[in-house]
Amino acid sequence: MATKRPHLPGLSRRTLLGSTLATAAAASLPGRDAAAQGAFDWKRFKGEKIEVTLQKSPFHDVLQKAEAEFTEMTGIQIASEQIPEQQYRQKLAIEFASGKPSFDACYVAMATQKRMFGKGKWLADLRPLIADASMTSPDFDYGDFAKAAIEAGVQSDGRMDTLPITNHYNILMLNKELLQKKGVAVPTTFAALAEAAAKLNDPAAGVSGFVGRGLKNANTPLWTGFMLGMGVDAVTADGKFNTDGPEAVAAAELYRKLVKDCGPPGVAGFNWYECQANFMQGRAALWIDTATVGAPVADPKKSRVADKAGFAVMPAGPKAHRGPVFASGVGIAAVTKKVGPAWYWVQWASGKQIQTRQVVGGHGASGRVSPYEAARKAQTPEAPAEWLDAVIASTKIAYPVLPDIVAANEFRDVFGIALTNMLADGDPATELKKATEAFKPIYERTEKS
Amino acid sequence: MVVRPGAIRRLVDDMGLALAVVVVVSPAILVFLWMLSLSMKTELENSAFPPVFVPAQFSLENFAAVIKGANFGKYLWNSLVVSGASTLAALILGVPAGYGIARARANGLAAFILVSRVTPGMSYLIPMFILFRYLDLIGTLAPMIIIHMVITLPIVVWVMIGFFETLPVDLEEAATIDGCNTWQNFWHIALPLSRPGITVATILGFIFSWNNFVFGIVLTNRETRTLPVAVYNSMSFEQISWGPLAASALIVTLPVLVLTIVAQKEIVHGLTAGGLKGG
Amino acid sequence: MPGTGRAIASPRAGFGAHPAGPAATAARRGPGLPRRTRYWFFILPTLLAILAIILFPWVFTVWMSLHEWAPGSPPAYVGGRNFMELFTSRRFYQSIGTTIYFTLLSVVLPLAFGVFAAVVFHRRFPLRGLLRGIFILPMMATPVALALVWTMMFHPQLGVLNYLLSLVGIPPQLWVFAPATVVPSLAMVETWHWTPLVALIVLGGLAALPVEPYEAALTDGATRWQTFRYITLPLVLPFIVVAAIIRTIDAMKTFETIFVITQGGPGVSSETVSIHLYLQAFSFHNIGYASALVIVFFALIVALSLFLLFLRQKVKWS
Repeated sequence: MATKRPHLPGLSRRTLLGSTLATAAAASLPGRDAAAQGAFDWKRFKGEKIEVTLQKSPFHDVLQKAEAEFTEMTGIQIASEQIPEQQYRQKLAIEFASGKPSFDACYVAMATQKRMFGKGKWLADLRPLIADASMTSPDFDYGDFAKAAIEAGVQSDGRMDTLPITNHYNILMLNKELLQKKGVAVPTTFAALAEAAAKLNDPAAGVSGFVGRGLKNANTPLWTGFMLGMGVDAVTADGKFNTDGPEAVAAAELYRKLVKDCGPPGVAGFNWYECQANFMQGRAALWIDTATVGAPVADPKKSRVADKAGFAVMPAGPKAHRGPVFASGVGIAAVTKKVGPAWYWVQWASGKQIQTRQVVGGHGASGRVSPYEAARKAQTPEAPAEWLDAVIASTKIAYPVLPDIVAANEFRDVFGIALTNMLADGDPATELKKATEAFKPIYERTEKS
Repeated sequence: MVVRPGAIRRLVDDMGLALAVVVVVSPAILVFLWMLSLSMKTELENSAFPPVFVPAQFSLENFAAVIKGANFGKYLWNSLVVSGASTLAALILGVPAGYGIARARANGLAAFILVSRVTPGMSYLIPMFILFRYLDLIGTLAPMIIIHMVITLPIVVWVMIGFFETLPVDLEEAATIDGCNTWQNFWHIALPLSRPGITVATILGFIFSWNNFVFGIVLTNRETRTLPVAVYNSMSFEQISWGPLAASALIVTLPVLVLTIVAQKEIVHGLTAGGLKGG
Repeated sequence: MPGTGRAIASPRAGFGAHPAGPAATAARRGPGLPRRTRYWFFILPTLLAILAIILFPWVFTVWMSLHEWAPGSPPAYVGGRNFMELFTSRRFYQSIGTTIYFTLLSVVLPLAFGVFAAVVFHRRFPLRGLLRGIFILPMMATPVALALVWTMMFHPQLGVLNYLLSLVGIPPQLWVFAPATVVPSLAMVETWHWTPLVALIVLGGLAALPVEPYEAALTDGATRWQTFRYITLPLVLPFIVVAAIIRTIDAMKTFETIFVITQGGPGVSSETVSIHLYLQAFSFHNIGYASALVIVFFALIVALSLFLLFLRQKVKWS
């Protein structure tokens, strides 16, 4: 952690004003070096207004609803918006590339955009802000973040671009009634998963043993998730490709067995919402997807299998047991003049109170540890105990589901096509070889600069 | 009683026509009715299979939710301003241009106007964003109004060329002999006669601008978003809620649907029979 | 290219009965400036406006097509490499094939149904106005909104289309969820949207038809089909060709419907050039490559339009 006092642009006079006003409040805070440069004051940036842009997500609904609380606490006005995933990524890239993003703070899907953001140095380094006692609330509790979650926001040169707010873990959703009927136990290994799916598959009754994403691009993380269990990364940090090796082929064969042999007709065009629709109608026995889109299946207002829905951690592979995770976080635009208020928002959004609300409400998985304990105690219907257990178990074995490369989205696309081809007649080994050959030049071109 | 063969033939003919009308109109009716049904049912009914066609209880909740939802009024206003202004600008520029091209038979120019239409819409997005960001206009409606002229201007010019070509030139010739110049010919003679053409150009320009989605993705922000983009954005992340989605889709489409039904005669005549003659 | 612009602009241009001739003579007779220059004043503002709007994007696109640019790094000059990559990319050729397939269906089907609908609406019957209004609704409806509704109707297990099929005993189809049926299914949505436009253009042709041949046919005792085949169809053919040209340009550029419903999937089976362009520019951030793609795509559309215009000239003379 940096110890140097950070230079924060745009603070000067207000900073001084703020720190004098804050002395009274600071006196009551134990264990902090309040005298050094003035204690922390939530009202320091009173009257400022910041623009925040977010990707569409249930947790971000929570964030937006809580904005009034933030404004009351800090006196900072927030103007925020949510945009669906696909447009969001493209808009974010264009905004930053233009050199003048129209917002001060934003959500970043680090799983696919981390390296691009690192290359462009588009986000402000958060380390000096965390280290500054006058800027960071004493109850922020940095140590509460899971190490893996923090690392997802740190670039290779050490800059911290984002703090985690929502992590999406792939977990296993299951229809308990169907499992019971066929006497199938909750699968805990890949082998058991394949066996269970085959046993549960009952096309005559309109029930598929398994449902999972078949649509290219969307489907790739399912396969890379299996690869993690086979003990390898798709692409290692030093540029070694495992995408056509024996582990990759085994993972692809498992994918094909589940999605093609035990999946519903038309699955090659399924994204998560088609999967979800089938599962909620009782037409699929097993489903692997993120905990975020899995949570609604337990909601009786939306789902016909609410009382039968079960959740489990991703089954273990032959070599490893991993909880595949898509990391994401919030950061501050490097060029903004409102670093101070934007940081206040970031620390609030990633803070304990809001993060606990996320987990308790079943809106997603936090990068912090404490919200899970709180949710266990709260026992809300939105976050059923089983769902919570599956998520908590995942956090303990968390591992990034996508390789840390610049062309992450093209990776998803190229290998996604190979996987979709396997759902027709494609042979896993041949398809993966072809895809690897197609992707390598893209990798080399995008990594070199 | 004796039925005349002509009457039978006529009856068969009428039934055939009725059947043909049903075939032609039903795709439109069925899809819109299904949307209406979706928008009035609960989520459970909407995801049911076999599908529920008539809701157990008609509910306007989905509509209420959309209208009360974030900034709906603002997006509606934005769409009205963008489509209205870009259509108006296109009329001011395009009606004289249509006249000029028709009278001068400037076919090359007419072809040039096509270029803006043939260019894939997406290729405008990045350069336009960079340009408008540089001009500091992102966050205003100006970029959208300007870029939407790519849609409205060609429509107006084309419709007007077609229209002016059918206008008899005798009056203008007479006026020319009486000493009117070209502009006076246009302003006092051609323009007043071209009202039906202008009506249809306005309606079509407005509707196609209203429906555009691609430009809005990149060139708008929270304050300047148009309705189609807002509808797409209303798809939620954790679950697709068909009821609210269908409700907002209907609300977006409603203004143009009403406009179409009300003005169908003008649209059909303007597009088909060549204005004056077909009226 | 004389004749081209107006040929598209107006279905009536090819119809001898209209006053293009007198207009020309009037202009020649008029005092002062020659015909062309007398009207530049009317056309210039529009010309300047269009130039102002498209000039920068085009300069940007051409410049960028010679560079490699991924957001996050500065653009680097690469000469013709983007074009080389494009012309050696299998996926690009595949997307052209898909575009042609999709375009063919999305032109032919609306033409067939549109001509039929036009013939129907050309007759008089009660409530014609209202029914015609309803009939043209699909072309006015917001494509994005409708595409979302179609997506759900297509669902192989839960969609309403398969349910309706099951009522008449047809087994469930996979629609947009299988490589073999995805393009025809998308073309079906496109046909639903744009049949009215074709019908309106053809209706215009029907309205301008002379009455005499029909009277002759009637006295000769021709059937309805014979009248249509030998009198109506040849006479409205120029209008059908105009509709075909407009449809071709629009179908080739179709983006919203495919993007919302399949995003080019399953696999790449519905990845048209438009979708390929979107992915390259906005998903993979290969701005240079995407710019080269825009240029080639544009050339393709222009070439095809010119070909169709050539076809139209032939129809006109025959």
